[in-house]
Amino acid sequence: MLKIWHVAKRELRETAKTKFFLFSFFFTPLLIFGIMALTRFTTEKAVNGPRPPKTIAVVDLSGELQADLERAFAEHNALHPDRPIHVEAMNELDVDSADAAVERVKADVRADRCDGALVVGQTVTGGSGESVFYLKTRSMGDVEFVNVVKSLHQDAVVNFRFRAHHLSADLVETLSRTAPVTPVDVTAENEQRGAQMGRIFVPFFFVFLMFMGIFGTSQGMLTSVIEEKNSRVVEVLLSAMDPFQLMAGKILGLAALGFAVMCAWGSLAFVAAAYNQMGDLLTASGVGYFLVYFVLGFLLFSSLFAAVGAMCNSVKEAQTMMMPLMIVVIVPLMLWPYIANFPNGKVAVLLSFLPMTSPMIMILRIASVPELSRFQILASIAVLVASIPVLMWFAAKIFRTGILMYGKPPSFGEIWRWMRIG
Amino acid sequence: MHALVLENISKTFAQTRAVTGLSATVPKGIIQGFLGPNGAGKTTSLRMVMNILRPDSGRVLVFGQPLTSHIRSQIGYMPEERGLYPKMTVQNFLMYVGSIKGMTHRAAGAAIGEWLEKMGLGHCLKKRVEELSRGMQQKVQLISTVINHPALVILDEPFQGLDPLNLDLVQNLIREMRDDGATLILSTHMMDLAERLCDTFIVVNRGQIALNGTIDTLRSTFKMDSIVLEADGDLGFLASVAGVATVSGAGRGVEICLEEGGDPQAVLKAALERVRVKRFEIRVPSLHEIFVRRVGGEDA
Repeated sequence: MLKIWHVAKRELRETAKTKFFLFSFFFTPLLIFGIMALTRFTTEKAVNGPRPPKTIAVVDLSGELQADLERAFAEHNALHPDRPIHVEAMNELDVDSADAAVERVKADVRADRCDGALVVGQTVTGGSGESVFYLKTRSMGDVEFVNVVKSLHQDAVVNFRFRAHHLSADLVETLSRTAPVTPVDVTAENEQRGAQMGRIFVPFFFVFLMFMGIFGTSQGMLTSVIEEKNSRVVEVLLSAMDPFQLMAGKILGLAALGFAVMCAWGSLAFVAAAYNQMGDLLTASGVGYFLVYFVLGFLLFSSLFAAVGAMCNSVKEAQTMMMPLMIVVIVPLMLWPYIANFPNGKVAVLLSFLPMTSPMIMILRIASVPELSRFQILASIAVLVASIPVLMWFAAKIFRTGILMYGKPPSFGEIWRWMRIG
Repeated sequence: MHALVLENISKTFAQTRAVTGLSATVPKGIIQGFLGPNGAGKTTSLRMVMNILRPDSGRVLVFGQPLTSHIRSQIGYMPEERGLYPKMTVQNFLMYVGSIKGMTHRAAGAAIGEWLEKMGLGHCLKKRVEELSRGMQQKVQLISTVINHPALVILDEPFQGLDPLNLDLVQNLIREMRDDGATLILSTHMMDLAERLCDTFIVVNRGQIALNGTIDTLRSTFKMDSIVLEADGDLGFLASVAGVATVSGAGRGVEICLEEGGDPQAVLKAALERVRVKRFEIRVPSLHEIFVRRVGGEDA
């Protein structure tokens, strides 16, 4: 036991000194918050900030909407002088030449002579058919451009229809004025206006943190094992202890380091959540479960990473071997919107009891449904606790044999033989 | 009680039989040479002694017992491939090795200072391993092997990368440890050095013991079949002396190989009757020659 402790101490101390660890520790939170802030800033700019003027051609096949369209766009331009959309109408349209006109404006769009072409459907004012907007989509800004055109087209059509029924424009405006609804979240101590997106993303944040914690630290295990194998120091170590003691010490040391990192990042997240009045999302039990699942998940994956590291001679080789493992691991990240929507669905429950997916899926479910069945939580922890020694036992067998093997990586047949007799 | 007993140990890797029914004993308090050509099964055997590899069959006894954690702490093993953490300081590395060998922090600290001074590395305490020359790293490796004064020391190629001065230093250290009561097993390809240093020898070839014993025992298995003779006068008559197989060389100095049972004294007597003998030497085969003849002969 004492030897395991010494190995753990060295592993923790030496890993904490590496540039990769220091970089990850300090820059990962900065990177996450930086990306979030940058995304928010650029999205804000793209949606509400100034944008170069756009020009669209309008072909009114209905022959009725031209004036309303021009008025709708003029009103928009008056309200948003820094993001105007100018309209170029094709007057005196000959019905026989409609197809030719459409082709001509499409060619104009293709040749960048205008930014878009709105072809108003022949029967759209009557309530049937559709209009078409031609454009070249180049960036996220074009999504907003299309939305504005669709909205103004809608205004023009509705205006036309009301007028056709002899209703005054002022009355139309008054009757159709938007009645706003503001979502207010009452889970926080102070009622929060417009915090929905933040709250929706909190479960994902937990899963992401778990992923980074488990795999960032397990990556350390992989490189450490390969380094010891390549520098041949492993033979010196194995002359003084069993392979299992070495593996256990490494896992323990890195688990302690990962735990400390999680606590540090978690504290930062707590401060950020409290600052944004979302402190209620980080409950004591939630944080406790997070740490339990982190430790169990780390023990599970670091054993596998240690075995993979022992089989390989380089990180590159290891990455190839890790591929099937990583696919299993990425599943919870891919499924998070679905699981967050249906946290008690069959898929969520099934994945909660598979050791490889359980830590991330469970933390996603706990963050999505605070009142999640305690039985399910304890059962999933029990499954993990039971499967870890089994997996470690097999990993230790692979580790024992693989760590002294050099040359080409073993085949699956050889790995199976090591597990049976190693 | 022997320091080490190997009882019929065997090890096979996939299709390759690395060691086949190898049995040997190493008495306490000696320097045991463990020799053999590349791929003979030396390193595999030593790894089995340390339980780094498990024998497929047979057993290993160290000081009369199977290898336990307690017995393991009495063995110092220096593998053929150097194993150090390049980024660690010499002090931290040796502290770590000392701790996993069961030394207290204080005992390890004292031993490190003592060993580094002895090996001329007192100034390297705080240096990173990667900053040291190859020879210095070799000495750090050796210190890590013997830091806890083990009773059985296994050294696999300990002289690699050492200059003549350090070669002497390490040889003296090995003798000193033997004189202090430790048992040493030395695996090396440097035959002249092994001949000077080791008390007994085990030569392994193709996973089996080819020779075993002291240098005199090994020599006795190879006939003293070579005589160097220098004299004033024509030595052409030697070819016709009874028991002489071949005479090589010409003029006043020749090398004579005897037939099975040939008597060197008869050759000397015949020479003294005909010429004035200036030099008569019965050549003793060196360990190198014995090794080459035995191993080369088997491989031929």
